[in-house]
Amino acid sequence: MIIFPAIDIINGKCVRLTQGKYDEKTIYSDEPWETAQRWESKGAKFLHVVDLDGAKQGKPANTETIKKIIDAVNIPVQIGGGIRTIEHIKAAFDIGVSRVILGTSAVNDRPFVEKALGMYCDRIAIGIDAKNGYAAVSGWEVTSNISAIQLAAIMQGLGADTVIYTDISKDGMLAGPNLDAMKEMVQSTRMNVIASGGVSCIQDVINLKQTGVAGAIIGKALYTGAIELDKAIKAAE
Amino acid sequence: MISIIDYGAGNLKSVQKAFAHIGCDAVVASQPSRILSSDAVVLPGVGAFADAMKALRDRGLDEIVKQVVYDGMPFLGICLGLQLLFEYSEEGGGKEKGLGIFKGCIKYINVPDDLKVPHMGWNCLDIKKESPLFNNMEEKPFVYFVHSYCLHSEDRNIVAATCTYGETFDAAISEKNVCAVQFHPEKSGQTGINILKNWLKNVAGVIK
Repeated sequence: MIIFPAIDIINGKCVRLTQGKYDEKTIYSDEPWETAQRWESKGAKFLHVVDLDGAKQGKPANTETIKKIIDAVNIPVQIGGGIRTIEHIKAAFDIGVSRVILGTSAVNDRPFVEKALGMYCDRIAIGIDAKNGYAAVSGWEVTSNISAIQLAAIMQGLGADTVIYTDISKDGMLAGPNLDAMKEMVQSTRMNVIASGGVSCIQDVINLKQTGVAGAIIGKALYTGAIELDKAIKAAE
Repeated sequence: MISIIDYGAGNLKSVQKAFAHIGCDAVVASQPSRILSSDAVVLPGVGAFADAMKALRDRGLDEIVKQVVYDGMPFLGICLGLQLLFEYSEEGGGKEKGLGIFKGCIKYINVPDDLKVPHMGWNCLDIKKESPLFNNMEEKPFVYFVHSYCLHSEDRNIVAATCTYGETFDAAISEKNVCAVQFHPEKSGQTGINILKNWLKNVAGVIK
C-alpha cells in the first residue's frame, strides 16, 4: 500500500481543514514546496496535492504553488481541485503533474470525464467524496443523490482505473478511517482504491492495508505529529 | 556538460531538474554539434515509439544517437530512450523499427486480467548483474514506472535489472558506455537520485 502525504493549499499556503469546512482551517506552512520536500525526505513515494481554492471556484487557482512543489521534488505528484476542462488537465501535465484527480466534475459533467478518460486514462484518478454513503460535490458543500458505490461503477464503466475514496465525515477529524466503507468499495470495484480521510495513527494504516486498498492518503495526522511518515510507510509495506 | 537530447518527446524538464538537484548542470540540446561535444548524453522520452523514431529521424538525430553510442560517449536512455535502442517495437500493431543498436524487441506488457496496463506506479527491481547504475544500492530498489510496452533483450548479458508486473521484463541495461532504464529515475525519489548519481559518477565521470 502506498502512503500519500496530503498537501492542501489555500491561497498559496499549506493548510488543513476540518471536515472540509473552509472556515475551519489551520495553516501549517507558508511554503508548501518545503513541506513537499520534507515528506519526500521522509520516504514519500507519491504526493497528493489539493488546490482547495480551485475546488471551490471550479477552476485551478494555485498553479504556481503546485508547480513549485513539483519542481522541488523527485517523486510523482497527483493533484485535484477545480479541474473541469481538458485544458485544465493539459495545463497540469505541462507543469509536470503525474496524475490528475477529477472529483466534482465526475458527478456533474459525465461527458467531460468520459473524454478525459479516453484521452488520458492512466493519468486520471476519480475522486469520490462521500457523506453517509452519497457522493458530495463542490468543495464538499453540496451532497448529491448518487451513492459512492454507484458512482464508482459508472466511472469504472467509463474506463477509470483509480478511485480516491474520501469519507468526508472522517476527514480532518483524526477519528479513524471508515474501514467498512473502504472494504465495501474495494469489494465492489475492479479499480484501485485509494483511501482518504480519518487516518490518525499507525494502527489505522495497518487496518486500512487489510481492507485491500492500494493506497492511503494521510493529512492532518502528519501535520499534528500524530503519525510519523516514515513509520506509516513502513507499516504500509 | 551533460546534454539532454531534445527531439520533441517529453519529460526533459523533470530530467534536467533531477540533475540540477544533484548539483550537475545539464543542457537541453538538439543541435548535433552540441550533443557530440558534450561529456555525456541523456536520451529521455515519453509517448509513442513510432512518433519518437520519426521525430529523431526528422531531426537527423537517429544517426547522432548511434554515433554517441558507437563513439563510446557516456549515454543514458530513460523510458522510451531505452526502447529506441533496440531493433523494433510492436507498438501500433506492427513492427516499428528502432535504432537497432542492441538486439531485442519491445512488446506489449503481458498481464493477467486483474492487472492493468499501463504499468504505472512503484515497483521493485531485480538486479541481474553488477552494473555502475546500481552500485552500493539496496538489494531491490523501488522505482517509478509508466509504460505499456516493455523490453525483451536478446542479449541477456546486457540486462542489469528486470522487473515483474504480470510478466518479467528487462528494466535496465548496461553495456560499456551505455546505460538505459525503463523506469523514471527522475520520479523515483532518493533511489532515483542515487541511480542518476551513480551514472554521473561511474559512467559519465562528471562527479566524484
